[in-house]
Amino acid sequence: MEVVLGIRAKDGVILATSKAFTRGISVLKATDDKTRILNDYNILGFTGEGGDTTQFADYIQANIQLSTMREGTELNSKAIASYVRYELAKSLRTRKPFQVNVMLAGLDKREEPFLSLIDYLGTRVDLPYAAHGYAAFYTMSLLDRHYTPDISVEDGLKLLDMCEKELVKRFPMEFKGLLVKVVDKKGIRVVKGNE
Amino acid sequence: MSINAIAKKYSYKTLAERELEDANEEYEHFVPNLSTMSPSLTLPPISQPTEFLRAHTDDSVNPECKIKIAHGTTTLAFRFQGGIVVAVDSRATAGSWVASQTVKKVIEINPMLLGTMAGGAADCQYWETWLGTQCRLHELRNKERISVAAASKILCNLMYEYKGMGLSMGTMVCGCTPKEGPTIYYVDSDGTRLKGDMFSVGSGQTFAYGVMDSNYRWDLTVDEALYLGKRAILAATHRDAYSGGSINLFHVTEKGWVYHGNYDVGPLFWEIKEKEGSFNNVKV
Amino acid sequence: MSRRYDSRTTIFSPEGRLYQVEYALEAINHAGTAIGVLAKDGVVLAAERKVTSKLLEQDTSAEKMYLLNDNTLCAVAGMTADAGILINYMRNSAQGYLKVYNQDIPIETLVRRVCDVKQGYTQHGGLRPFGVSFIFAGYDDRYGFQLYTSNPSGNYSGWKAASIGANNSSAQTLLKQDYKDDISFDEAKKLALKVLSKTTDSSKLASDKVEFATVLLKDKAPVLKIWKPAEIDKLLEESGVLEESKDDDN
Repeated sequence: MEVVLGIRAKDGVILATSKAFTRGISVLKATDDKTRILNDYNILGFTGEGGDTTQFADYIQANIQLSTMREGTELNSKAIASYVRYELAKSLRTRKPFQVNVMLAGLDKREEPFLSLIDYLGTRVDLPYAAHGYAAFYTMSLLDRHYTPDISVEDGLKLLDMCEKELVKRFPMEFKGLLVKVVDKKGIRVVKGNE
Repeated sequence: MSINAIAKKYSYKTLAERELEDANEEYEHFVPNLSTMSPSLTLPPISQPTEFLRAHTDDSVNPECKIKIAHGTTTLAFRFQGGIVVAVDSRATAGSWVASQTVKKVIEINPMLLGTMAGGAADCQYWETWLGTQCRLHELRNKERISVAAASKILCNLMYEYKGMGLSMGTMVCGCTPKEGPTIYYVDSDGTRLKGDMFSVGSGQTFAYGVMDSNYRWDLTVDEALYLGKRAILAATHRDAYSGGSINLFHVTEKGWVYHGNYDVGPLFWEIKEKEGSFNNVKV
Repeated sequence: MSRRYDSRTTIFSPEGRLYQVEYALEAINHAGTAIGVLAKDGVVLAAERKVTSKLLEQDTSAEKMYLLNDNTLCAVAGMTADAGILINYMRNSAQGYLKVYNQDIPIETLVRRVCDVKQGYTQHGGLRPFGVSFIFAGYDDRYGFQLYTSNPSGNYSGWKAASIGANNSSAQTLLKQDYKDDISFDEAKKLALKVLSKTTDSSKLASDKVEFATVLLKDKAPVLKIWKPAEIDKLLEESGVLEESKDDDN
């Protein structure tokens, strides 16, 4: 019942993840961060099976950083998305696949806003806005109605607020609010939920 | 042989690549990794060891199962101004049978680190003792005490390695280092690892959380904090049939942990009821 | 005495030398020359084919120029059979990268990967080093047009103009004399052929002795071309290199 939401604006990308970490019937943590910073302009949001999520995200993060060191240059967003999809597809054919769904947000070649949705089966779609899990049922209609391709990050954040309000109102699970991060020309920053 | 193994066997590799691989293997034992750190456990010669284990040990799936692993617990730990308080109950149950009322659910990993026990008693005891060994080796190698973050990560990586193979653990690794201050990490057999200010693990966790959440402040005195820990476990033993026996209390500071006694919940309940005027559902 | 240090690639001589690697380098100095010239708008590779015979089928036996993937090609100097192994490795490696990242492998990454293999063969016991030097030409988003050389030791370096094989030092001198930083693709073609004609033993260049390859950019995508014998003959004619070399002889 975790929330991962992404909106691609014309001047940046927004990635929001729920802050609750729930095991069984208790919320064990209300300040969880379900994202990893891969490099200066790319972040990865994730949900799925406990343990798998952090192990997979750490693995991707380490390999992206290793590649940056070896090649002396950062991989662009499309190459990262391709690599993450490849790792999930590879893992799917093993005895113990990673049960992890991810969302990659970044500036492709430090220029073009980029948002990619990848599930544990290795299905990848690059989208203007996206959500994982049940949150999609509550928010996609709002995004379909209000999103425009020329939306700014500022207006995107307002749209995200609408989504969060709807989730708080109708979603039966407590998700302890959203941790919101933005990737734009200035880099990666937390805009909300880090109190 | 799996299809992957077959593919690997026949995939093309240059002689140099193979030589490099061999050379790397020679040096592998210098790098601390899990395969060299942990003993390798042989799996039973059946096609689905996990399924087998679940069928014969999980009493929630099959109440008739022959092997009942000790379950049912309340453990807690929280951070406050004066360090960390760790409190646990002492009951072990196997199905509806109370197997023991005197279990030590706080495992003294070393003089600085504590681990709590929930889930399989044997799993917790074995792997947290093993963790103590790893922490000592870290000290010898690095001439520095291991951080709580690193210690909990070693345990977490081990848990992840055995994920889905039947281990059952929910533990809090508690300690205090100059760099980190008082620190608690929750680690479980899913491979989850969380840093936090307050955790409670076990079947009685909801009851313990109730008391802790409503009475907790960061600037609690040490005595207040110890009392809160004790009181929260008492609440859980009162409402959770699988928790009980006695309470073990610990206080962790940068000087290490201090044991603050064992309290039988039988007399303790009446004592606290009278002192607080609480538990008014129970008649004297 | 020195026999003791020749026979195994892994052993340093008392003077700190690796004879087998040096012999491999020496072997390449007898192979046909290959020349690369980097221009603003393209890259040119030219090479001399040593073994020729009237009976040799021209179209089916290119031995010095190889396509590695959509954005890289290379010229070979040294043992063609050894080169085949490495070229196969590079082609596989490039496709592997394409599979994972869904984009072409950067030239330098590919060069480094093959050089890691070459290096491995200078260090691991009982193996002979690859008797091959390469000139790589290609285009990628990171550095645009690029030119690299690599040798049997596993070292590689980037160049504006480079040569490997027989007479490579004199070729290098000629290139240094005539290379200009703003050289155009057409000038580069001419320069490569001119230097090749001056460094080859045979008096007159012709398509049976020359292999030629180019990298260009068309619609933002690299276009690789290994030239056909007829095209090479035409180019030799048009470039006027044949006349110039005749003048020099006189």
